[in-house]
Amino acid sequence: MSWRAQRARGKWLRAFLLVLAGVIFLAPVLWTLAASLGVMPDNSHAPPSWFASPSLEHYAEIGALTPTFAQALETGTWVAAAATGLTIVVAYLAAYALAGARFRRRWFVVQGFLILASVPVMAYALPLLSIVRTARLYDTFVGVVAANSAGFAPLAAYILYGYLAQVPPELEQAARLEGATLWQILWRVVVPLTVSGVAATAVIVFVLNWNLLLVPMILSETQIKTIPILMTDFFRLEREIDWQSAAAVLTVSLAPLLALLAVTHRLLDHFTLTAVQSIE
Amino acid sequence: MIKRNSPMRRRERIWLVLPLALLVFPFLLLPLLLGLFESLTNYGPLQPHPQFVGLANYAAVFRTPDFAASWRNILIMVTVAVPLELAIGIGLGYLLREPFRGRAFLRVVFLLPWLVSPIANGAMWHFLLSQQVGMLSYFAAWFGMDFYSPLASVTWALPTAIATDVWRNAPFACFLLFPGLLAIPPELWEFATLEGASVFAQIRYIVLPWLMPLLLAVALLLVGSTLGTFDDVLILTGGGPGSATVTPALYSYLQAFQFALWPAGVTAAWLIVASMILIALVYLRLTRVEAAA
Repeated sequence: MSWRAQRARGKWLRAFLLVLAGVIFLAPVLWTLAASLGVMPDNSHAPPSWFASPSLEHYAEIGALTPTFAQALETGTWVAAAATGLTIVVAYLAAYALAGARFRRRWFVVQGFLILASVPVMAYALPLLSIVRTARLYDTFVGVVAANSAGFAPLAAYILYGYLAQVPPELEQAARLEGATLWQILWRVVVPLTVSGVAATAVIVFVLNWNLLLVPMILSETQIKTIPILMTDFFRLEREIDWQSAAAVLTVSLAPLLALLAVTHRLLDHFTLTAVQSIE
Repeated sequence: MIKRNSPMRRRERIWLVLPLALLVFPFLLLPLLLGLFESLTNYGPLQPHPQFVGLANYAAVFRTPDFAASWRNILIMVTVAVPLELAIGIGLGYLLREPFRGRAFLRVVFLLPWLVSPIANGAMWHFLLSQQVGMLSYFAAWFGMDFYSPLASVTWALPTAIATDVWRNAPFACFLLFPGLLAIPPELWEFATLEGASVFAQIRYIVLPWLMPLLLAVALLLVGSTLGTFDDVLILTGGGPGSATVTPALYSYLQAFQFALWPAGVTAAWLIVASMILIALVYLRLTRVEAAA
């Protein structure tokens, strides 16, 4: 086979595999979306038929099935936004300090962030509850946000370290010679150089916070009901719920993140985990 | 031994690190340590004056049949799901590496499953695998085949839980690995094309060596998240049928909150910490070998 024919064949194979992957990733979500709009199959006979009565009634029913849904959307947004903000700020400052210092154990500190980032929440959730109760932060917004942030701060610090290690130290040295303070250097020189990386990291951390179940589930009882908690209650208590209503709940819970992805996908192209290369 | 390459004073550095330390110490490091002490006592919400009980909690936990099942299940999950997720991530990244029309759109589609929360993923697949309105059942019906939800089968529940986990996490692995694949110098690809290297040779001799540090980091994150599998199975199977899909995290949660056996819950959870310590040591060893090479 000629080189040209081989290349053409490779191109078709690549297109086929990519479309296949796209279908596998997209189909379950589209199937759910269709059901939420009243379009679903009837598999009880062969060949199966489609049962279609397109309407938005199942979305209207969400309010009746789970009266606190709107409340949960609001709570979830505030918790995720506050925890993301706190995580990014504390992780950025620490990662900056680490990138600016050169000491022999730095490699271990950076890898330590990654190791802490990979510890699953359930591994420490029960003692965490003891601590949060003792601190009188049980069932409070502050307690959940602090615990969420502590869980994701190591990951954010690891990612942000990768961006900060690439900032040339000469720029900071020049600014310092001009008499700039640390905060001026940070705000005027370092932050502008890393802003797209920070924003991409913030999007990822926001998604992780939005979807986190265990921390708000264990650390709160009634006050902090986020979307994952609401869905857990909903699906555990009503197992015999009909598929269209379930699909509507699933679609609405995914919609905010889809909107976020649509708005920020160009930003996410800047996302890289370069910390691994920046350690020597 | 501090060699400054940036004009930052020691006191400034402490101020910069302090907020992270104040957050991570009480809400992450302290509970990780406290778990070990709690697991050696009979401490619990109903036991205000805890006593040291040695390894009694561990002995009690080891005796329950679900405990062994949970570790058997998670071992299978980690060894099957993580390599699959990494392989799919590398494969998709390899296919996406050259620009083409619609690549930006495909990258968005390829991140979509990761946006579905683990809890929603479990609920969604519960219905998608159902006999009446499900997706697989629909295709089976075309061929006149009977289809029963694999989630009800002791044999198939665990592979199905793993498959839904891979569906959700492989896109994230691809998202994390893709920038690393893009960073491979173009000369290497050109050289491989001139040499007529096969896809597998390219992956073996170009992609893997170049990607190794990043691959190890992503693998660690995936191992950690799989080890903590909890919400994924909570709705999907609830750990069943029997104990076919119970995980250490689910076991620990049920002990503490459903059976009110706080010490058992803490002890089972601390074994997750212990296994994370082992995994971290292996990770550090592998990265140091990699860095030395």
